[in-house]
Amino acid sequence: MVEATVHATFDVYRFEPGTDATPRYDRYVLDLPPHTPVLSALLKIRAEIDPSLSLRYSCRSAICGSCAMQINSKSRLACEAPIGPELARDGRIVIEPMRNQPVLRDLVVDQDPFWQNYRKIEPHLILDPRHPMPEGRENPMTPAQVDRFKETPRCIACAACYSACPAVEADPAFPGPMALAKLYRFVVDPRDTARQDRLVRIQTDGLWLCLRCHLCTEACPKDVRPSERIRDLKEMAIAAQGATEPGSRHALAFKENIRDRGPLNEMKLARQSMGLTELVAQLPQGIRIWRKKPELLRAPHAIEGDDEVEKIYDALDDHRSSEDLP
Amino acid sequence: MLKHEVVVVGAGLAGQRAALAAIEAGREVAVFSKLHPLRSHSGAAQGGINAAVGKEDSVDTHIYDTVKGSDYLGDQDAIEFFCQAAGPTVVEMEHFGTIFNRGEDGSLARRPFGGAGFPRTIYAADRTGLALLQALWERLGTEEFTLYEEWDLTSLVVRDGAVQGIVAFDRRKGDFAQVAAKAVVMATGPFGRVYGRTTNAHSCTGDGVAAAYAAGAALKDMEFVQFHPTALMESGILITEGARGEGGILKNALGERMMAKYAPHVFDLASRDVVSRAIVTEVLEGRGFPGDYVHLELMHLGKEKIESRLQEICDFTRNFAGIDPVTQPIPVFPAQHYMMGGISTDIHGATTLRGLFAAGEAACVSIHGANRLGGNSLLETLVFGKEAGIAAAAYAVSATAPSLPEGGLDVATAPIRAWSRRTEGEDPSVLRTEMQRVMDRYVGIYRNESDLLEGIRRVRELKKRFAQIRVVDQSPVYNLNLSDALEVGHMLELAEAIVVGAYARTESRGAHARRDYPVRDDARWMKHTLAVRGPDGPKLSYSPVAYTRWEPKERVY
Repeated sequence: MVEATVHATFDVYRFEPGTDATPRYDRYVLDLPPHTPVLSALLKIRAEIDPSLSLRYSCRSAICGSCAMQINSKSRLACEAPIGPELARDGRIVIEPMRNQPVLRDLVVDQDPFWQNYRKIEPHLILDPRHPMPEGRENPMTPAQVDRFKETPRCIACAACYSACPAVEADPAFPGPMALAKLYRFVVDPRDTARQDRLVRIQTDGLWLCLRCHLCTEACPKDVRPSERIRDLKEMAIAAQGATEPGSRHALAFKENIRDRGPLNEMKLARQSMGLTELVAQLPQGIRIWRKKPELLRAPHAIEGDDEVEKIYDALDDHRSSEDLP
Repeated sequence: MLKHEVVVVGAGLAGQRAALAAIEAGREVAVFSKLHPLRSHSGAAQGGINAAVGKEDSVDTHIYDTVKGSDYLGDQDAIEFFCQAAGPTVVEMEHFGTIFNRGEDGSLARRPFGGAGFPRTIYAADRTGLALLQALWERLGTEEFTLYEEWDLTSLVVRDGAVQGIVAFDRRKGDFAQVAAKAVVMATGPFGRVYGRTTNAHSCTGDGVAAAYAAGAALKDMEFVQFHPTALMESGILITEGARGEGGILKNALGERMMAKYAPHVFDLASRDVVSRAIVTEVLEGRGFPGDYVHLELMHLGKEKIESRLQEICDFTRNFAGIDPVTQPIPVFPAQHYMMGGISTDIHGATTLRGLFAAGEAACVSIHGANRLGGNSLLETLVFGKEAGIAAAAYAVSATAPSLPEGGLDVATAPIRAWSRRTEGEDPSVLRTEMQRVMDRYVGIYRNESDLLEGIRRVRELKKRFAQIRVVDQSPVYNLNLSDALEVGHMLELAEAIVVGAYARTESRGAHARRDYPVRDDARWMKHTLAVRGPDGPKLSYSPVAYTRWEPKERVY
């Protein structure tokens, strides 16, 4: 089979900390069929042009999670990204290491912090010795219970979500989308006996630092949808413990605010989300906002048809209560 | 100097299970792996794990199917032990947290698989390996041990016929290190990358098998190479046997259900060697599609079943072949998939070298004989990983303190360091590509004397050229050029053992199909091949097959 090839230009990030003063981009031009995966192209570059190019890879079938990298600024698996669409859109293919993880060399990043975050959520069944597992046979689990894991068992720990996440970049206390999706997997496991503890603990261990931007869900090559599972965890945490944290109080206040009048009342929101001490601590920030955009801090008028908003909420509440949390 | 009681090399299912067993036996354990454990190739196993737990099924039937599948080359005592351990092993993995598919009554769901009398393959969608790997890694994470992540194995240290430790290479820092150990467990998985067309990951280069072979351990039945019938046409990416287990059928270019001719009783669920040969025969006789492949059809199963039970397959075919299995047939052709051969061990993972144990695909017990049944390899990693861990732990208790030779590291690594000092020489990847072409062409599904002789000649020529390779990359950090060279050196030794064993075995049995000797010859060849490394390549000898209850019969599916 002879296939048409395309002229493919790769600009590949090269950097060896400690040796190179600054990163550089090496350009490689190859003629390849358009459906060639980026990984195959990089391996061809290694085999035929430059064996010193360093990257992680193994299975080449999107199951080992080794080859996540930035391809034209998107974090994805190189093995399942064909070059054709990239070239058609951007004219060239820029290959860079994943974000939020220090570069060790070229496209290889230090994943230790990523794995530490995964370890922190205690990713194993926590058992209660008073309820031993059935001897000699499996725990019963219905297909409906298996469905509650959603797509989390598909996670291959590639860290594409971690790379795409602005909360990880902003705050090292945020465990990252993968770790939280993994936490969800243990929280909904009927064999695990620490559901309540896990939910209470994560309220103060970074759950509410998620920015709800859904970039993790967009980046995930296995459709794990971490942001949706984080949303579930938030709901479960509030159900388990109540709105005890600024994050959870903020979420509830946000909801009530909108329900009440339509637009947000920033002053009220701040009051409801934060305790008095936090409110005082935030005062300088409030003053800065007031100087620049005083209208933000004014109580908004109710919008026209605000009763319709309330009806939407009522309908949502009815729907939600009829559908149990995972 | 690094020092541990038990060193496990490889952190897939077999290595992890061995580590857990040795830790539970009270030993201090270190695990070396060139990949993060969750990136191991065990995670790529799709279809499932066999255990005769259904009411209508029995352990005896599982044993019989495995014996028959092995074309009577499997050791029946080992197979009995293996099948009896299946139920408890799967239950243990469920207790560790594996998320399996379930039946409506809450029990473990089972699907039919090739060569099996009953639906006995327990599964987690079509990512059973990943499900097991996650659960075992998460269970092992609750124990104390030392993980050496992203280290290459270069060799074993042996003194007075007993293993004293390993020599390994830290990819992150670029340092070689001698590691003293009382016992070493090799669980480095397969070496499918000796072939070009393979379902195996790039990392499957048999480093541990080659190191054991170089240190004097015997390899067993290396000529038995399993070709999986259904790999994606171009990339060689695996399409699980579960696809046929769920009802998928193979069709030739005439639109015929081709397996009716080759396996009139079980059709598409015949044993893998049978189905692979059938596909090659159809193509050779002109009934393949242009480009030499056949179709695997799933369309009749319906969108819902395909997308729920074969979720990863949907993604693979859509992303890697641009084909939607819900509406289109999948173009498939066999690809190297599994090595029945490996480091020769007994039921407890003991090799012919004192202090060295092996398990999983790196080992050959032998339970698979001349052909492995689908669903038996995941089970093998766990059953024999545990056995090897227990045996290594027991050995470590009684072994004397390991002693590493003075200056041994310099001696062991001198040839490797020489690669980097050369100013000219071939890149290891050139030799890797040529080796893969040789193995694909001369040591494939159908074999004959002249091809195998040519294969031997070419592999030996590549070994000579390998002695003069050059590693261009001078960096100490993630120098993959150096890792490539280590791997290619390992694979060339193993390729030679495969082709020499295949040349010597003048019969057809299981996956070893000789055009010039098309019949199984029990009188002369009902025996295991043992290969020990000599100065001029492998020295072969033979050992008897263990029989208990099953007399050899002709194999019909």
